[in-house]
Amino acid sequence: MRKAHRAASVIAAICGSLFLLFLVAPIVRLVGAGGADGLRHLFTDAELRSALELTALTATSATALAILGGTPLAYLLERRQFRGRSLLAAVIDLPLLIPHPVAGIALLLVLGRRSLVGGTLLDLGIRVVGSPVGIVCAMLFVSAPLYVSATREAFARVDVRYEAVARSLGDPAWRVFRRVTLPLSARGLIAAGVVVWARAVSEFGAIVILTYNPKVASVLSYDRFTSYGLDEALPVAAVLAILAFVPLFLLRTLRASRGAAAFVQ
Amino acid sequence: MIEAEALGARVGEFELRDVSFVVPAGKYGVVIGAAGSGKTTLLETIAGIIPMKGGVLRLGGKDMRGVPAEQRNAGIVYQHGYLFPHLSVEENVRYGARDVAFSDAMAVRIGAAELYSREVRGLSGGERQLVAIARALAPRPGVLLLDEPFSALDPRRRTLVRREVRAIARELGITVLQVTHDFTEAGLPGDVAILIDQGRVLQSGTPERLFREPASPYIAEFLGAENVYAGEVRYLGDAAPDWVDGATELLARGHRAIEFRTGGLALYTVGDAPAGEGHAVIRAEEVLISAAPQESSARNQFKGVVSEVATTGALTRVTVEITGVGGGTGTHGGTSVPIVAALTTRSAQELVLREGSEVWASFKAMAVYLC
Repeated sequence: MRKAHRAASVIAAICGSLFLLFLVAPIVRLVGAGGADGLRHLFTDAELRSALELTALTATSATALAILGGTPLAYLLERRQFRGRSLLAAVIDLPLLIPHPVAGIALLLVLGRRSLVGGTLLDLGIRVVGSPVGIVCAMLFVSAPLYVSATREAFARVDVRYEAVARSLGDPAWRVFRRVTLPLSARGLIAAGVVVWARAVSEFGAIVILTYNPKVASVLSYDRFTSYGLDEALPVAAVLAILAFVPLFLLRTLRASRGAAAFVQ
Repeated sequence: MIEAEALGARVGEFELRDVSFVVPAGKYGVVIGAAGSGKTTLLETIAGIIPMKGGVLRLGGKDMRGVPAEQRNAGIVYQHGYLFPHLSVEENVRYGARDVAFSDAMAVRIGAAELYSREVRGLSGGERQLVAIARALAPRPGVLLLDEPFSALDPRRRTLVRREVRAIARELGITVLQVTHDFTEAGLPGDVAILIDQGRVLQSGTPERLFREPASPYIAEFLGAENVYAGEVRYLGDAAPDWVDGATELLARGHRAIEFRTGGLALYTVGDAPAGEGHAVIRAEEVLISAAPQESSARNQFKGVVSEVATTGALTRVTVEITGVGGGTGTHGGTSVPIVAALTTRSAQELVLREGSEVWASFKAMAVYLC
């Protein structure tokens, strides 16, 4: 019995280690091969710097929009019972399941120059396709479902009775949200925002359909790979990986720290 | 004042149905029920947290249909307190306060002010309850809804806090509705008691009435009556019995002299129960135990053998098996029937009661309630 238990433990440890190696090895190899060179390029390569700035700006904008629209939607889905709730939740998750170039094509149909929305926006002086607006739209479309899902979970962890008590103490629903729900779910919302930002930074498939130029870092990496080969793409790809990794690492550190305990119920 | 008329609500599969009761302004109502009977659902429906599905609810005479929770002036205190963990104890108490001096005064009276310097996370269950009560009182609610609010307090503190809550409610004219599964707790503070089961009110009235005149054997047993017997009601004729004080007046009000037979036991009482199958309830506190037959007016007197003596502090519960062969005034031979008596422990010690002791159990005719 003890022998069988030990064998099972060894098998589980081997499987887990191989899985971890599979996940970590490409990133470590990438950063190891191009990380230092990529960081040096930041001072000399204006196109890379510009691409990274654009990536950060558009990802931040997409995250802000996801928070603005996704937070009330997530709260509605988590706290209210209404007909069609499950359907709505499934529709919101849909962008996660379709290939990202397909998402780009779908966006092009709605926001392209010849579409009603895209045409109207163009008349108003807002160009979507081939502009940073298109990049934000692509990032938002593919990453917002992650935000809604993570935010729903964060709200679910706040016991509704905290809100009930606050309302019985005279606060209307919106003030309860500001004074109770939001502080109690803050950690989850911050985590959701970081995940969305990192996902937006790494998006390629939908962006490349909507806006090839100006180039975000992921498109630049692809462009250099196809035009100049692996050596030229490597520094850009490594910097992009670091850019996505840093906020996630900070988030995990924040969660583990005592300071983050203030957000825990 | 809390007035519920055929109040209904639904939470998932659970349904609150036809709930009707009144707690007059400034009075203390107690909802008693087992776990899962719908007590908390009732409070949350009154607070406006769960939407009503039919019926009428008035708080302070005002119809609550369509009135949101924040406008009902009804504070709620849950068993677990639900203190806001991101706020200090002081901020919790003052959360809904319009007058900080008043909220602090409430905190002092309840005993929560001394916890101001502590972190919410470090409070015990009882301390959390104190803060939650002070927080609910801080906005001067018209109605205070308490969900097992004293359960985590030690017995001494529980009595003090309950007394203080009652005093504050009386002073400020707050109508209180407290839920509990503990009938002994319900018996202490309540002006009105409401017994609820499976989302329906089984009986409501003064706590005294619920205890003395339970509407069913289930209610009697739930409220701690230990002597509940199924049997048969027989009328004894129209003459006023001499074993009940005021029998003539009772008969004039439609009551009848009754013999109630259960097992080998015949109990005598006066009541308005219909003839046929029924239940007799005798509270243990009404049963006297003596070493020899009582020379008293107690109509029901039986000789038996002590089968159990259980002491819980100042009270001792004695179970006496009435076997029928002993020849007591009301026995008819046959099966054994247990009668539980509650004595002061001192009395039990004086009688030197132990298993196997032969004793007499007696109780007055009016101690027998038929339902």
